[in-house]
Amino acid sequence: MTLNFLIAPDFAPERFAGWHMLNTALQRRSGIKLHLLTPASPAEQSRAIEAGQVDLIYANPFDAAGMVRDKGYIPFARPRMAFDEMVIACAASSPATRVEDLRPGARIALTDNRDVKLIGLRLLEPADLAESDIQWVAVDSYQAVARLALRAEVEAAFFLAQAYASLGRMTRSQLKVLVESRIRDISHVVLAHPRVADQLPQISAALLGIGGDAAGLEVLEALGLPAGFEPMTQEDAEFMIDLMDTLLD
Amino acid sequence: MPLTDMTRPSGACTEARLSFWDGAARTVYCTETEVPFPDGRLIVSRTDLAGIITHANDAFVEMSGYARDELIGAPHYILRHPEMPRVAFKGLWDTVAAGQKWHGWVKNLRKDGAYYWVYATAVPNVRNGSIVGFTSVRRKPSRTKIAELTPIYRQWLEAERAAS
Repeated sequence: MTLNFLIAPDFAPERFAGWHMLNTALQRRSGIKLHLLTPASPAEQSRAIEAGQVDLIYANPFDAAGMVRDKGYIPFARPRMAFDEMVIACAASSPATRVEDLRPGARIALTDNRDVKLIGLRLLEPADLAESDIQWVAVDSYQAVARLALRAEVEAAFFLAQAYASLGRMTRSQLKVLVESRIRDISHVVLAHPRVADQLPQISAALLGIGGDAAGLEVLEALGLPAGFEPMTQEDAEFMIDLMDTLLD
Repeated sequence: MPLTDMTRPSGACTEARLSFWDGAARTVYCTETEVPFPDGRLIVSRTDLAGIITHANDAFVEMSGYARDELIGAPHYILRHPEMPRVAFKGLWDTVAAGQKWHGWVKNLRKDGAYYWVYATAVPNVRNGSIVGFTSVRRKPSRTKIAELTPIYRQWLEAERAAS
């Protein structure tokens, strides 16, 4: 039997090979056959979940909340010291120096990453800006978000912090960070469907031990998660979901 | 463990005696120093059903001025500022105990007598259908809201003092 392992579609393109390397390593270490699913969009991910095709998932925190509480997925691991943070930036030439300088009607570019938008909305509150006060400019990639910002076609741009850090040095030099979140309590999580609970001990052991040798460390480097994975209990996940709940409004 | 009286700060301050829902009382000292909420951060705490702090994140420790060991095991009202009217908290515990989310703008008192404003959200921790505690997350507030609420809180406080 082959298990489907879905990777949330918000990873940087240069990590694509790393996820395939991880999939291969997990199969070798656990003895369980895995088929990697890399949906191109959140909508494609949702269709796979609703079709019951997902046995294992590296989920973003927003999606994990519903999967744990509504669908009974079992949390068992998360990346160690790798938190989901976001950046609000603008063109370096912009007169704005902080979020409070943005005004109602401001145009903000973003992708369809809901975690980034959710945290970003909370960071706009000190500027008295609600979702309805913003002209949202949705694009397909963080590179496109950056282009709009540095051409000053938008007043600000939302980035996943890792994506912002992955932008080229030249691009970043033409942008200015207005605020960066430092929440350090919200991260991606690895979940298993209850139907694979019997195989979970082998999968969990394989994932948590992945950094134990040179080959495993190479995989983690390719993923951009050099500290590897750590166990996540049901209560750890519930705590994070409660925290996310406070950020919904 | 019941709270002890605050230590009087070295500079100018005002003194107040606070009494709490559980019968405890405490003398606190307040200065006019505001500590700005740090950009991009969240203050996170959890309490048990009696409002005793069981978890404090780094931002909570830094902003409150207390050591983590002083916060864990203390009642959440260790942060209560005497300029916060009781009515501002009215409904907080009723709301979360009923399984609902509560929001409010709160002026908190630090260990050193300074204060910081927050926009607070509290949610019940529901596990297997039962409420086992509460999570509170505080984020950077709107200064416009604080400016609107400050005179209102002052009026409420005066009304409470006149009634007592």
